[in-house]
Amino acid sequence: MRNLFAFIYRFRAFLIFVLLEVLCVFLIVRYNTYQGAAFFNSANNYVGRVLEFQSSLTDYFRLGSVNSTLARENAALRQEIIRYRLQQQADSATILADTMYVKVDSATVAPFYLHAGRVINNSVRRTNNYLTLSIGTADGVKPGMGVIAPNGAIGRVKTVSEHYATVTSLLHSQMLISAKIKKNNTFGTVKWTGGDYRTAMLDYIPLHIKPTKGDTIVTSGFNTVFPEGIMIGTISSVEKELDKSFYTIKVKLAVDFAKLSYVYVVENPKKDEREILEQNAGIITDEQ
Amino acid sequence: MNSSFGIRHIVQFILFVALQILLMDSLVLFSTGFCFIYIAFLLFLPININRVLLLFLGFLAGFTIDIFYDTMGIHAAASVLLAFLRPHVLNLLTPRDGYDTKDSVNIHVMGWRWFLTYALLLILMHHAAVFFLETISLESAWYTLAKVFASVLFTGIVMIILQLLFFSVKRANR
Repeated sequence: MRNLFAFIYRFRAFLIFVLLEVLCVFLIVRYNTYQGAAFFNSANNYVGRVLEFQSSLTDYFRLGSVNSTLARENAALRQEIIRYRLQQQADSATILADTMYVKVDSATVAPFYLHAGRVINNSVRRTNNYLTLSIGTADGVKPGMGVIAPNGAIGRVKTVSEHYATVTSLLHSQMLISAKIKKNNTFGTVKWTGGDYRTAMLDYIPLHIKPTKGDTIVTSGFNTVFPEGIMIGTISSVEKELDKSFYTIKVKLAVDFAKLSYVYVVENPKKDEREILEQNAGIITDEQ
Repeated sequence: MNSSFGIRHIVQFILFVALQILLMDSLVLFSTGFCFIYIAFLLFLPININRVLLLFLGFLAGFTIDIFYDTMGIHAAASVLLAFLRPHVLNLLTPRDGYDTKDSVNIHVMGWRWFLTYALLLILMHHAAVFFLETISLESAWYTLAKVFASVLFTGIVMIILQLLFFSVKRANR
């Protein structure tokens, strides 16, 4: 027995090394899945405060580009309002007293709510990139919600604390986004493969379709995370490889992830209902 | 033990971690050169520090960075590996007549050759661990290797600059 203790004491450094490494590997396996809830991360209150302090300093250098993005978005929104007003004016003649409006598609009557949030931590050059936002449960953010910027899809909320949220960016090696080619509604999957943060791949587009350079890729709306038709990017190259039954398509992402400042968290009020229905039916996808 | 592990190292820990999170996080050269300067804290610890304590300090430093980087466990694993290898590398590089009691990891005391071998060897181990744990697969091994070498150079140069700026000859003789 004494020999055993002597042995343990002699190799204590090595044993503790092995123990700590096992703990680390456990942490990696347990918490590095792109969706699993993590306890220690940048949504933590104290960590969030440090990151917020950092971004409050660096934000001044980006005020110019932030302002121009906001102004452009305002312009787009105004344009949309004007279009609806004109439509309403043109339509008003057709509304007759004896017409009854039947709500056919429940998706058109259930709106998405947007919560604006400031990006306080962001990365684009790692293999798995995350964002931290300065909004949390207090503002109605929940894990699993989609995140979009004025000009395109960003990612999905991973964990939330009271005032902060971490977001799995589209620039994550395990993030898949269900997408479609806008002109012919062919759906595929957008995936980032690392390297350049402006390009991603569009997989599973069958060979009988004719995608061309410049085609717009938008979200498909096949799940509860993103609304349908959110911009993802444009096709920058299409290749047909001999041994594959799908095209190899490169997509130039619409969002410059390095310049994010304000984003919107998308809340879908019918999310639970739809997910429970799909789960009961046995349809489980890992695409977003 | 307590006498050699003083307030100076606690301050160094806070400074290096803050430097890492606030500045080096956004400083990436050509999207391959990363600078993980926080390991300078582990490298600059006293030479005769207790091995077990060193392992726990390695875990603590790596874990703190992991929280901010959202890379749970990766930096902790690499830093623990570094902490484990440090005494062995120090043994390997023992001068002919052993370490003096006043020896410390200081470029002026130990000389350029000793410091460069010591620092680059350990930085290489740490960075290789970080980048290969990050990708897990060996799919893009060449790209990962390029990242490792660029980052070793970057971190190494920053560490030498820190040594030359803040570790004066006078303090070494104290």
